[in-house]
Amino acid sequence: MRYWIWLPLACWPLVGMADDAALAQVMRALAAVPAVEATFREEKTLAVLDAPLVATGVLYYRAPDFLRKRTLRPQAEDYEADGHWLTVETPDAGRRQFDLNGYPQLRPFVEAIRAAQAGDQAALERYYQLEFQGTSAAWSLRLTPRAADAQRYVAAIVLRGRNGRIDSMETLEPNGDRGLMTITPR
Amino acid sequence: MHRWPVPLLWLLAALGCGWIVLTTPVAADLTLFASRADPVAELLLDQLRSGPTTRLILLGLAGGAETERAAVSQRLAERLQAGDGFARVANGADALSETELRALFAHRYRLSPTVAPERFTVDGLRAGLRQRLAELQSPLAVFQKRWLAGDPTGELLNLLKQWQGGLREPVKRLGVWFSPDSDRALLLVETRASGYDLAAQREAVTTIRAAFAAAGAETGVRLEMSGPGVLATLAADAIHAQAEFLSALALAAVVLILLLVYRSARTVWLGALPMLAALLAGAAAVDLMFGKMYLITLAFSMTLLGETLDYPTYLFSHRRAAETVTDTLRQLWPTLRLCMATTMLGCLAMLDADFPGLSQLGVFTVAGIAAAMATTRWLLPALLPSTWTPPRPTAIGPWADRALQPRPRLALALGGCGLLALLALIVKAPPLWENDLAALSPVPRELMRLDQELRAALGAPEVGHLIAVTAPDAETALRHGETIAAYLDDRRREGLLAGYDGAMRYLPSAWTQEQRLAALPEAATLTANLDAALEGLPFKPGLFAPFLDAVAAARAAPPLRPEDLRGTLLGTRVSALLFPGARGWTALLPLSGVRDARALAAGLPQVQSSQAYYLDLRAETNRLVAGFREATLVRLAWGVALIVAVVWLGLRSWRGVAAALLPVGLALVFTVAALLALGERLSLFHLVSLLLVLGVGVDYGLFFSRPDADPELRRRTLHALLVCCGSALTVFGMLSLSALPALRAIGLTVSLGVAASFIAALVAARPLLTKMS
Repeated sequence: MRYWIWLPLACWPLVGMADDAALAQVMRALAAVPAVEATFREEKTLAVLDAPLVATGVLYYRAPDFLRKRTLRPQAEDYEADGHWLTVETPDAGRRQFDLNGYPQLRPFVEAIRAAQAGDQAALERYYQLEFQGTSAAWSLRLTPRAADAQRYVAAIVLRGRNGRIDSMETLEPNGDRGLMTITPR
Repeated sequence: MHRWPVPLLWLLAALGCGWIVLTTPVAADLTLFASRADPVAELLLDQLRSGPTTRLILLGLAGGAETERAAVSQRLAERLQAGDGFARVANGADALSETELRALFAHRYRLSPTVAPERFTVDGLRAGLRQRLAELQSPLAVFQKRWLAGDPTGELLNLLKQWQGGLREPVKRLGVWFSPDSDRALLLVETRASGYDLAAQREAVTTIRAAFAAAGAETGVRLEMSGPGVLATLAADAIHAQAEFLSALALAAVVLILLLVYRSARTVWLGALPMLAALLAGAAAVDLMFGKMYLITLAFSMTLLGETLDYPTYLFSHRRAAETVTDTLRQLWPTLRLCMATTMLGCLAMLDADFPGLSQLGVFTVAGIAAAMATTRWLLPALLPSTWTPPRPTAIGPWADRALQPRPRLALALGGCGLLALLALIVKAPPLWENDLAALSPVPRELMRLDQELRAALGAPEVGHLIAVTAPDAETALRHGETIAAYLDDRRREGLLAGYDGAMRYLPSAWTQEQRLAALPEAATLTANLDAALEGLPFKPGLFAPFLDAVAAARAAPPLRPEDLRGTLLGTRVSALLFPGARGWTALLPLSGVRDARALAAGLPQVQSSQAYYLDLRAETNRLVAGFREATLVRLAWGVALIVAVVWLGLRSWRGVAAALLPVGLALVFTVAALLALGERLSLFHLVSLLLVLGVGVDYGLFFSRPDADPELRRRTLHALLVCCGSALTVFGMLSLSALPALRAIGLTVSLGVAASFIAALVAARPLLTKMS
């Protein structure tokens, strides 16, 4: 009669192992993707604004470390991370290039999605604590920044997806601001 | 017992002089080169003494892995920032702390270059708000969002851009500065003390080494250090080590020679007394007259006073058993007196009201020779036992007689050679002078190269080029600085220079601040404008209340002055570039990557109440040195005229004058020709050495042309001169082997000159005397 009480406890490690296995499986699936081209819609809910801020654009990814986020509406902006170079192009400031090595505080933000799409678990773990939920067919991965500096700006990033495909990325800030980017492959 | 008053008096005088010398400071700067009538020189020397560029220490971290270098850079910077010996420690990691960022934010309406009336109208505010909205969209918004409510026009960002501009920043990797090839992590440290305060610089270097030892422990990272202060410290150390080693060696050699020749320990220490007296008296005289002594005067005067070592030798070699010491001296006195008088008068000409350095040299030598003269004349007879005679001057008899044979033909040939050499010098006119002080720097080449590499990688302002503004007050200096900054911005666009820095970049003049504050509308207008601008934008109502408060507060506050900034990073930056001096305020604009100094200097905007100077430190320093040399040469010409006059007065015969002075003239020609043939260019060190050669050579000429018929006496003279020449050759020959350019210059010149003087005087003095009669 009492055995069933022990059952969940006995299963705990198994649950964890199941998660680890599923995470590894998802990572393998993501790593297998050579390139992605998708449209995105980003909705930011900010404490300073009455209404959410919506932007749309295109995402490009090429394994292992090229990622471009091109916002088309409401105004054009272009962010391109290629290796350790980050190129930013905005209408008012023009085109600027940063060495990510020189701005370590930017790195976690880039890697959250780039390393995830590359299936590079080690790179993700360098900057975040990972919390996997679900199955490889429908998963969510919660990234909590490790560095105190990054924690000041981001509470967590939640990625949701199916197998080797990322469907959305949600950014949660400490002050309650949040941004949800949904991704639709073309 | 009546022998004792003289030594006692001498001892008292020596102790008195010693006390004066010990209580007077020695200055290790270059002001001695400057003419008092030169306003640029004063600014320049101020800069060389204490300018911000002289206070920079450049650090490189090489070796180990890249991550190690970055980590050590971070730890080292933290350690150095913790102490208070440094005005600035920068390694590229976020230079501004939270408090400093907040301070800048608080003063944004005075400090931001973009504050203007049109930005606070309805349209201006709307444009600003739209831009902020666009920024919120960006993935980088998380970093900027916190300033939004207080700063919808984005003044803080513009202000930070202004701060980061100016001098070029190095490449960053892993969050800290790196050289372009990433082989070195770079740090820039600014000491509080002047770069020429060697004690403080040494302390800074020790502090950095200790901090590095802790920060870099158990890594493969090496520390490289450079900068004016570091190089000066190294130079001083190198000179010390070499000079001490060489002088110990030379002293031992001379003592050995004297012991071998005179076989008496007493002559060795007695022989040193005139030189000792000369140094003490000379230094004391300079201290009394000028209140301080330049280190380089001391070095030059010690070189010049080398002649005084010869005086006791003349006495010792001429001692004969049959006569008392006083008798020997009495017999030598007319010649010896003339030897001393020529040197003294030659140096008397150096007294020049405009050049403190030259005057010091003159005073030092005149006083020194007088003291040596008195010591030789009165102290030595009191201390030298009347029974002592040199062991064997006569033993060199036959050889000496042959050497002393008059050889008119050889003399003629020598004269001919001298004329030819002189002609060659005049006709070929090889570049004679070394104007570049750096060529004489005792700093090893590889360190100079390291300095250049670090400087280039850091984009640190070269010590070379800067603009100095002098004005009656800080405000005027800042306003003139702003005019010049506008001028430099234009020139930068034309590519004449890469960048500049200056106090006005961090703290605008009160006038400019007023202009900016005047651009801010009053509360009611601003509120109305903001409300209108917010129409249709999604910002929450009441969000910008902090902005309205901040503008109202800024309008009410007085302008920021340099004295309000004390103790802040802003204050540190400003006070290095804007500071009060003896004549009002000076503002500095260090330049980097100057392509065309002349064009930059030519168009420099001037205003009525203040003066702007373009300083090319290297060129100006070299100009000062050249000016000093010109003055020395003119003085030297006067000195030679005085020498001729005094020799004529002493000998009352033009033949005698020719016999005494022509050989040394010949020797100087040979020496200069030989130096140039060896590829040397003449510097101040060579020039001072030539002065010593002149002094010693005149002595040789005077002694060799003594009209004695007594061959025995002439043998003794030869003996004396051989000892003098031999010891001089030993000492200065050793110096000429030194790797330090300055020591080598002195050693080479004096040994060549002494040898040439000896040969010329031996060969030519007597024929000149007899042939012409």
